[in-house]
Amino acid sequence: MVALTAGISVAGGGVFSPAGRRRGRGPAAFRCSSSSAGERQALFSRIAPVYDLLNDVLSLGQHRTWKRICVSWSRAKMGDRVLDLCCGSGDLAFVLSQKVGLDGEVMAVDFSRQQLQTAADRQQQRWKLCYKNIKWIEGDALDLPFADCYFDAVTVGYGLRNVVDKSKAMREIYRVLKPGSRASILDFNKSSSLFTTSLQSWAIDNVVVPLASGYGLTEEYKYLKSSISQYLTGEELEKLAKEAGFCAAKHYELGGGLMGNLVATR
Amino acid sequence: MRRTAALLSTHGGRSIPRALADVLVCPLSKQPLRYCEATGSLVSDAAGVSFPVLDGIPSLVPKDGKLLDDQEVKSEQESSTTDSSG
Repeated sequence: MVALTAGISVAGGGVFSPAGRRRGRGPAAFRCSSSSAGERQALFSRIAPVYDLLNDVLSLGQHRTWKRICVSWSRAKMGDRVLDLCCGSGDLAFVLSQKVGLDGEVMAVDFSRQQLQTAADRQQQRWKLCYKNIKWIEGDALDLPFADCYFDAVTVGYGLRNVVDKSKAMREIYRVLKPGSRASILDFNKSSSLFTTSLQSWAIDNVVVPLASGYGLTEEYKYLKSSISQYLTGEELEKLAKEAGFCAAKHYELGGGLMGNLVATR
Repeated sequence: MRRTAALLSTHGGRSIPRALADVLVCPLSKQPLRYCEATGSLVSDAAGVSFPVLDGIPSLVPKDGKLLDDQEVKSEQESSTTDSSG
């Protein structure tokens, strides 16, 4: 039960629109297939204030381990120039910041200004000298504001699942990476195992949503289930990366198969 | 890399956006940006669009770009020329 709960949280940079501002609109407003990018942006802005807390509670802190793995597999190192895409409130950016040090730079991009503001506030509150190397940027994963071959590594944590055009996002990630460098993309695993799928579904219905409802975010976190079902399997993600131009792509399961991390090499 | 880190660590609202203009490009044209002190925005001359910087966070979402009219482009380019020759 603990492992199950631990695997489910970490809603991540998904698409949770501000339910409060959309009272009167039913669950259909949040269905993955009909959500526009604008609705997704609004959703994530809505959950920004409790996002970190729910991640911690629902995963029993496990999300920190998965995020450290994601950063480690990106092979980011001291002095590197790295991008954290769909950065949300900055978990991966803070880990990257310590990896690359003051001689490196971390560009952290998200389409939700509220999430970015939360990240900037955390940067001030948890002040470490190396955090000066982080720049928060409001941007679109489909049109990145960086030159070709600019980054030594790219990470995405619980963001790709919520991008409306995953193929284009993958091509943009490829474009801004230096040859030979890696993208490390962490997210929920859309498993082909019926057991794992059932476990995820049960945990969302019986643990995640009830807990989120305590914060008035029932609809937002109900979205999680449909977003996972409409996401890509590990094999499909590998194919997507290769179609975008990556020379190698491998998807690894984490958290007992509940999470997955794609490592793609340009 | 050290120069970039030094620029990014400088305090003050004006120096941070100017440093960002050195490393960011227009999300539409992928061409360089320049920092406009008058408006506090990042300008893409190639696309004829400016992007705001709010609370030190640049907004480079394409749909949030503001089209520059001809007068704005001319006066900003003249201002930029004066600064560089001064």
